[in-house]
Amino acid sequence: MSRQIDPILLEVLKNGFEAIADEMALILMRTAHSPIVRDAMDYSTALCNARGETIAQGVTTPMHLGSFYDAMNHLVQTFEGRINPGDVFVGNDPYIIQGQHLPDIYVIEPIFAEGRICAWATTIAHHADVGGLVPGSNSIGATEIHQEGLRLPFLKLVEGGVENPMLFEIIAANVRVPEQVIGDLRAQMAAARAGRQGFAKLLERYGANEIEAYAEALQDQAELFSRKAIEAIPDGRYSFVDHIDGLGADPEPIELHLTLTVSGSEITADWTGTSNQVKGGINAPLSFCKSNVYAALRSIMPEEVPNCHGYTRPITVTAPPGTLVSCVYPAPCGARGITGYRIIDCIFGALAEALPDKIAADNTGGSTLPSFGGQQGGKPFVFSECVMGVWGATSAHDGQSGVPHMGSNQSNVPIEMIEADYPLRIERYGFVADTGGAGEFRGGVSIQREWRALADDTYFGVRSDKAIHPPHGLFGGGEGKPAFTEIEAGNTLRAMPPLATQAETLNAGALVRHRMAGGGGYGDPLRRDPSRVAEDVLDGLVSVEAAATAYGVVLSDPAAGTVDEAATAALRADMRATQGSGS
Amino acid sequence: MASGFRIAADIGGTFTDIACLSADGRLLTRKVPSTPDDYATAIIEAINDLGEAEGGVRFDEILHASTVATNAILEGKGAKTALITTEGFRDVLELRRIRVPRLYEPLYEKPAPLVPRRRRFELAERMDARGEVLKPLDPEAVEALIDRIAALDVDAVAVCFLHSHINPAHEQMVGARLRARLPEKFISLSCEVLPEIREYERTSTTVANAYIGPPVADYLRSLSNRLKAAGQDGRLTMMQSSGGVQLIEQIIAKPATVVESGPAAGVVGAARMGARAGYDNIITFDMGGTTAKAAMIEAGRINATSEYEVGGGISLSAGLTKGGGYALKLPVIDVSEVGAGGGSMVRIDAAGALKVGPQSAGSSPGPLCYDQGGTAATVTDANVTLGYLNQDALAGGTVPIRAAASRAAFETEIAPHLGCDAHEAAFGVHKLANVTMMRAVKAVSTYRGRDPRDFTLFCFGGNGGVHGAMIARELEMTRVVVPPAAGVYSAVGLLFADLEATRARAFLGLLDAATAPRAEALLREMEAEVLTELDQARPELRWSADLRYAGQAFELQIDLPRDGALADALGTVRETFEAEHRRSYGHLLDGAIQIVNLRVLGAVAPRTAGGMALQERSRPAEGTHRPVYFGAEMGLRDTPVLHRGALAETPVQGPMIIEEYEGTTVVPPDATVFRDGYDNIVINFVREART
Repeated sequence: MSRQIDPILLEVLKNGFEAIADEMALILMRTAHSPIVRDAMDYSTALCNARGETIAQGVTTPMHLGSFYDAMNHLVQTFEGRINPGDVFVGNDPYIIQGQHLPDIYVIEPIFAEGRICAWATTIAHHADVGGLVPGSNSIGATEIHQEGLRLPFLKLVEGGVENPMLFEIIAANVRVPEQVIGDLRAQMAAARAGRQGFAKLLERYGANEIEAYAEALQDQAELFSRKAIEAIPDGRYSFVDHIDGLGADPEPIELHLTLTVSGSEITADWTGTSNQVKGGINAPLSFCKSNVYAALRSIMPEEVPNCHGYTRPITVTAPPGTLVSCVYPAPCGARGITGYRIIDCIFGALAEALPDKIAADNTGGSTLPSFGGQQGGKPFVFSECVMGVWGATSAHDGQSGVPHMGSNQSNVPIEMIEADYPLRIERYGFVADTGGAGEFRGGVSIQREWRALADDTYFGVRSDKAIHPPHGLFGGGEGKPAFTEIEAGNTLRAMPPLATQAETLNAGALVRHRMAGGGGYGDPLRRDPSRVAEDVLDGLVSVEAAATAYGVVLSDPAAGTVDEAATAALRADMRATQGSGS
Repeated sequence: MASGFRIAADIGGTFTDIACLSADGRLLTRKVPSTPDDYATAIIEAINDLGEAEGGVRFDEILHASTVATNAILEGKGAKTALITTEGFRDVLELRRIRVPRLYEPLYEKPAPLVPRRRRFELAERMDARGEVLKPLDPEAVEALIDRIAALDVDAVAVCFLHSHINPAHEQMVGARLRARLPEKFISLSCEVLPEIREYERTSTTVANAYIGPPVADYLRSLSNRLKAAGQDGRLTMMQSSGGVQLIEQIIAKPATVVESGPAAGVVGAARMGARAGYDNIITFDMGGTTAKAAMIEAGRINATSEYEVGGGISLSAGLTKGGGYALKLPVIDVSEVGAGGGSMVRIDAAGALKVGPQSAGSSPGPLCYDQGGTAATVTDANVTLGYLNQDALAGGTVPIRAAASRAAFETEIAPHLGCDAHEAAFGVHKLANVTMMRAVKAVSTYRGRDPRDFTLFCFGGNGGVHGAMIARELEMTRVVVPPAAGVYSAVGLLFADLEATRARAFLGLLDAATAPRAEALLREMEAEVLTELDQARPELRWSADLRYAGQAFELQIDLPRDGALADALGTVRETFEAEHRRSYGHLLDGAIQIVNLRVLGAVAPRTAGGMALQERSRPAEGTHRPVYFGAEMGLRDTPVLHRGALAETPVQGPMIIEEYEGTTVVPPDATVFRDGYDNIVINFVREART
C-alpha cells in the first residue's frame, strides 16, 4: 500500500465505522417484531469491505459475527457483475451460501461509490420460524436439512430499488408466523439501509479510495494486534476433549476433540477426532465453527483489537468434513447453537493451563432454547427464548449468574411481555442454592425458569445441555450441578432429555421446569474465605450443610452469618487430611 | 416582600456553579469549590457573597441541581433497602436483562444489585397480564413479612409485583400496611414510581427510588433548613432529569426523578435561549473535565427518553450498550455521554498508536499545567500547547497554570513517538478527543436518523467553547453558539426551567375509535391530578402517548391533541406517528398501532422577563495576541484574544480567542464570528450549499 496512513484519521474512521454498525443494530432492535429479535436480541450487524471482510461490527452476537465472511464471499463470487445500486439480498442456507442455519436469515445491501461496490451493510437475524418440522424451526429430531424449513440461496429481495413481491409471498407462505418474519425482515432492511446511508456519508466526505485504504489499514492493524496477543501464549500444543450430552431419550455422548497449536504469532485449531455429524439438528457448518473459534480467541485478546476480519488472519481452523463441527449436506443444523457454545468452551478448556488468569471455569453450556407453539385465537403462535447464563468462577471472582455466554450477547424476554402475548405463564425465574461448583471462587449458581402452558395442544421442544456432563471446575474447583428439564402434568412428573428429538405436547396446566447447570468452581474450596461462605449462606446461595461439607465452614449463627473460626479450622484440617489419604 | 431576585446553583462533585438573575435583569455568576461534607455550605457562601454585593437580598426563589442522587448510587451509599416481590421472582432484580455492554469479556463482572438477595422477599400473590387476580394476597402473610422486615433495620422498602402496572391492588395493599406499620421508612411502590410493563425495568427503577430516597430527603431537608437559618426562605426547587423543576416536597416523594439533574439543566437553558435567539434546531455539547455530553433539541423541543441506566459508565444513548448500570426507566432528557474531557489522559498504546482517555486526571492531580502532581499529559495540556487556552492562568486569572509543563510533555515524549512536532502532536490529541466526543453528538443525531448538518451546535461547560467549533467543522455543521456564562450554563439553565408536574399510566389498547374514549377519560383524570399538584398556577398542558406498531417492543412518544374528542383526531395522530417512524427508522408498516402508555405534562414558565445581561467578571488586556496552532492546513496563526463584550455585532473573520471568567472560546481561521442580540457568541462556517 503506497498511501501514507495518518494514525489519527485511522482512529477517526474506525470510530466512524463502529458507530454505523451500532446504529444499524439499534434500528434493527427498535423496529423488530419477534421476541427473539426485539427482546432477546438474537441478531447481528456489520459493515464489510468490497470482498465481504468485516470492517466493523455492532455490539451484537459474536457467534454470528465471525461467519459473515464465508457467506459474503459466496455472494460476491456468485453475483459478480450482477450487483447494482438499490439491490438488497436475502439468504439463509448453510450449504448453498455458507450460512449458519435456516432460522438465521441474512439481509445484505451493497454500498456503491464511483461506480463500484465499496462496502456492504450486512445484517443477520434469528427468525421466529422458517417452517419445517416444529414451531421455531429448531428441531433436534430432524435428520436432514430438508425437514428444517425454507431454504434460501442468495436472492434479490429488492432489485434496483424495487421490492420483489414474489419473494415476500413465498417467505410468508412458508413460515408459521408471517407477520413476525416479514416484520423482522423489514427491520433488517431498515438497518441495512441506515448502514448504507451512514457509510455513503463517509464516502462522500473522504472519497472511496481513501476510505478503502483506511479500511485496509484497519485490517492490518487488527492482524498486528492479534499476532501480538497470540505471541503472548506460550508455544505448544494444547488439547481438550468435551462432550455434548447426546440426542434423544437414550443419549450417546457426542465428542468434540480439539488440538490447539500455538506457534509464534499463529494459532491453529484442529478438530480432528471429533464425532461424525449426527442425525439430529445440532450439526455445525465449518463457517459457524470458524466463527466460534474466532470469538473465543478474540476474547483473550486486549480490548483495543479492532473487531474486523484482520484479527482472524493468524488463526487457522481445520476440521474434517462430515464431522459435527464441519457438517456436509444434508446434515440438519437447526439447533447448531449448542455446538457453537461447546466449540468456544473447548478453546477455553484447552487454554486454561496456559492462561489461568484469563479463563473462567466451565459454564452452563450456552443458552437453553425452549420453543413453544400452537394455536391462539385461530392463528398459529410460536414462542422461543434463550435462557442464560451461568458462568464458571475465575481466578479473581465468583462465577456470574445472569450474564450471557461469551458467544451470544443476548437478553431475556420480559415475563410481562410473554404473558401479555402468549398462552404461557412464567411461574418462577431465579437462582437455586447449592448448584455452583465449590471453589476458592464459587461457580455461578443455577438459574431456573418455569413455564405453564395455558392452552391444550401446546408444542414444546427444548435444546439444552450439561445434564450428563456438568461444567467442570479448574485448579481444584468442583463441578457445577447438572441441568435438567422436567414436565409436571397433573400428578405425573417426567424428565425431558437434554436434546429432545421427540416433540412434546402439553395440555393446559402442564408445567415445564428447566434448570441450567451451575458453573464450575475455581481453586480449592477449602481456601475460600470463610466470610464469603457465610455471605453466600445469608444470601441463600449456599446452604448451612453445604458450607460445612463443601467448604469446611462451620457457622455458629447462620442467621447472622457468624463463622465459628475454631470449628472451621478443625473441620478444614480434617477434610485436608481425608483428601490427602484419599488421593 | 418579593425582591425580584432568583438564584440557581448546580452542585457538582468538584465545583458549585451559581447563576443569579437580578430584579433588573443582570446575570451574575460564581464558580466556587463544592463542599461535599455539607453541600449547602457552598451555596450559602455564594448566596451571601452575591447578596452582599447587591446590598443584602432575600431571593424569591432558589433553584438547584445536584448529583446527590447519582452519587448515592455510584458510591454505594444509598439507604439499606428491602424488596418485596411476587413469589418466584425474588431474583428478577439481580438477573437483570442478561445482556452486557461489551463483547469478548470472559472476565466480566456485573454490578452488584442495590438490594442483596438476603433482603429480597417473596409474597404469594399473582395477577395475570390483564390484571385478573390469580392468587389473592394473604393479609396474614403480609403482616408476618412486615414483622421480619421491621427486625432488619432497613431504611427503605421497595415493592414490585408482576403486572402491577395493570392492576396495582396488591401493591397498594402491601404499601398501605407498610406505611401504617413502618411510618419512618421510605416506601417505594412500583405502581407509583413507574406503572409500566417490563418487570426488570420497573423493579430496578422502584428499587433505585427506594435506595436514594432517604439520602435525597435528608439532603433536601438539611439544605432547606440551612437556607432558612441563613434568612433565605424563598421557594426551593430542584431540577428533575426530565428538564422541569419541582418543589422539594414532590422530589422527596419520588427522588428517582432527579438522577440526571445537572445535565438536564444545561439542555433546558439551551432550548430556552435557542427559542429566544432564533435557534430552533440545536445539538447541545457540554464538555467538562472528565466527560462530554450531547442532547438534541428539535423544533424547540428537547428529545427525551425513558431508557436510561445510572452508573453504567459511559452511555451512548438509547439501548445498545445497556447492562453496565442500573435501569431507571423514567423520563430523562436523552443525554449521551462519553468519557472525554479536559482531564482525559494521553498515552501511546502497545502498537504505537496515540490514545486519548478514557482515563482522566480529573481536577486532582489534574492536567500537567496545574502543577499539582499530574503524571500524564491531558487534553487541557494539548489545548495549552496549541495556544487555545491562556498561557498564565485560567478562569479569568483565578487559576494559575504552568504552560511550559504542558509543552514539555508534547515536545519530549509524545511528538517523538509520532514523528512530528509538538504542535502537530497536540493537535492530534485535540482531534482524537473530538472524535470520541463526536460519538456523543452522533448518538443523539445520526443514530436517530437526524442529520447534524441541520442543527446548531450549542456549546457550554468549561471546555465546550474550546472544542465546539472544531467538532462542528468535522460534522459539517455550519453554526456554533456559545452562550453567555457558558462555563456555568447548567446553573443558568435552571433559571429558565419550568415548574413541572407529570403523570404517566400504562394503557392496554389499540389506537382506534373504540378505545379512544377510554384513553381520553384516563388523560382527563391525570390532567386533574397535574392541576392539583401545580395548585393555583396556570400551567401549559400537554398530552402524549407512547405508540408502536402492534408486535413491536419499542415505542415512539407522540403528542395527542387536547382540543376536541380524541376519537376525532385519530387520523392526525396516526400520521404523526408514521412521520416519526419513517424519520427514525426509514420505513412504515401496514399494521395497527398500539397505545402502551399515556402521559400528561403540566408546565409553569418561570419569570425571566427583561432578559439576561451578562456581567463580565474579567477581560483580557486590549490588543492581546498570541500564536495559536490550527492544524497542518491553517498552521500557526497570530491570533487576537478578546472578551465577549468586545466582539462585533457583525461577522468578522477568525481566528480569534475569546477569554472569559467562565471559559474560553476558540474561533478557527476559516470561520466568522459575531455577538448576537442575546450576547451569544455565534461562529459560522461558510460552506457551499449541500446537494
